[in-house]
Amino acid sequence: MWVKPWTLKEGSLIGAGLIIAGLMLELSVGPVVWDAFSWPVNGIVLVGFLVMIAIMHLLRRQIYAFTFLSTYAAAIPAIAFAVILTLIMGLTRQTVNGTWINDMLSFWPFVLIYVYIAVIIGLAVLKRLGHFQWRRDIPFLLNHLGLFLALTCATLGNADMQRLKMITAVGEPEWRVIDENPQVKELDLAIELQQFIMEQYDDGSPKRFASEVNIMTKSGKNIHTTIDVNKPVEVEGWKIYQYGYDTAAGPQSQISIFELVRDPWLPLVYIGIGLMLAGALCMFVLSQNQRKPNANGQTRFAEVSPDSSNKRVTP
Amino acid sequence: MIWDYFIYFAIVAIMLWAVGAFLAWKEKKAGVYASTLTGMAVFFTFIVIMWVTLERPPLRTMGETRLWYSFFLPLAGILVYSRWKYKWILSFSTMLAAVFICINIFKPEIHSKALMPALQSPWFAPHVIVYMFAYALLGAATLMALYQLFFKKGRSLERKEMDITDNLVNVGLAFLTFGMLFGAMWAKEAWGHYWSWDPKETWAAITWLAYLGYIHYRIYRPNSIKPALWVLLIAFILLQVCWWGINYLPSAQDSSVHTYTS
Repeated sequence: MWVKPWTLKEGSLIGAGLIIAGLMLELSVGPVVWDAFSWPVNGIVLVGFLVMIAIMHLLRRQIYAFTFLSTYAAAIPAIAFAVILTLIMGLTRQTVNGTWINDMLSFWPFVLIYVYIAVIIGLAVLKRLGHFQWRRDIPFLLNHLGLFLALTCATLGNADMQRLKMITAVGEPEWRVIDENPQVKELDLAIELQQFIMEQYDDGSPKRFASEVNIMTKSGKNIHTTIDVNKPVEVEGWKIYQYGYDTAAGPQSQISIFELVRDPWLPLVYIGIGLMLAGALCMFVLSQNQRKPNANGQTRFAEVSPDSSNKRVTP
Repeated sequence: MIWDYFIYFAIVAIMLWAVGAFLAWKEKKAGVYASTLTGMAVFFTFIVIMWVTLERPPLRTMGETRLWYSFFLPLAGILVYSRWKYKWILSFSTMLAAVFICINIFKPEIHSKALMPALQSPWFAPHVIVYMFAYALLGAATLMALYQLFFKKGRSLERKEMDITDNLVNVGLAFLTFGMLFGAMWAKEAWGHYWSWDPKETWAAITWLAYLGYIHYRIYRPNSIKPALWVLLIAFILLQVCWWGINYLPSAQDSSVHTYTS
């Protein structure tokens, strides 16, 4: 144990240590307070996180643990712990007022393991960039950078996401919304419901909900449009969704409820998703070309992965 | 009702696939392709007729997703066969397809024309079809794992077999990624957020991570085969929970927005 090069054993112990640290944090300071991460805190945390990973990468020759964190022996136990914790999440009921495993997203061990995965991915990407080969490493970079970006930006950006409800009545422009707390706020845009549209199938099940609306903004825009389920309308950074209606009145409903969503971090998350999609495409297209075993009897992976266990380099 | 005719299409398709699988053992290549592909054409004809008569993609109910799975399994089988001339894979894929067809015959569902507004999206068909294809590929990978763990005698062909298994998982995970991310982008349009940790999403993440673990372990320890194969079996169980087992989980009752069977 702890003889270099470290293996899955050391990797598992580090993961287990993080879980214990997480449990102690949960006991001492309580669950993760995600609301505290709203702008600019999340921006500062992201920059700090990136700088930390860069420094770890630069110090990898001095501190062996930092080298280790970019290896498969670190990644595999981290993935295994993520599977286990997410599995617990999938098997337990998650509630807003839950504690510990019933509110997994704010449960320190869960959060720490995913942060740990992000650190591992970041270090693995930097290491790979050090001996970058175009054809060999492009799928690796797309997959890993994409996941890193989507994971970190989705998590940090969550505190800046606004989801507001607006209840409108026919013919009355409405600019007030209810936030998640719930509190009433006023927006720079107003929606005037002109007509609520509901179509049904022969058996009475719903076929279409939509609202014909006028959207007015303080900047002077006046947009006439129809908002359907699955077809949100975007106005000045707000995505406006058909959310509900007066269910008792059904097709005769004189009110329509909209959800207004603003997520300033979405472009970054979508870049991450785009990279992952491109990476998956590469995996699909290139997996046949890398298939052949090489001369010394290794499988194809020895060619594409300089840091497999057999070839691990000690500093 | 079109569903009443399913059994005839199904029997013809299974018989053609079985003949194809039999001819694979007899090394009659042309017959294998002709029979298997004809069977798939017969089965796909039923899917198309259903699509037309329902006036919507037949992808809404569990039974309808099983239909696509039963179609994609022989496709995965014939792809593996054409690439590696692996003669038993078609027997296995035919058997597995038959199991899912039998579930559809003995436990039929109501396939109404109704398609709730939340499902009326250009993302609907690609999201589900890509997932079903991934499930079929990973099902084939599971068959490879079962074969190597419990049925194979001798160790002579290990590398070739692991090569097939790894390729199935790689391509399967690629499609799993497509399915998951298409789903995320659809969720943004339909529900306002790309990822809400809905039980179905949570289980999709679990499944995705499990296969990710397999791929990394294979790279790390290419010669340690048995543990890797066991990971595949566990991952496939997780995949089944994500697909249909979730409907029976107490933790997911009434809390999933992914329920469209009513």
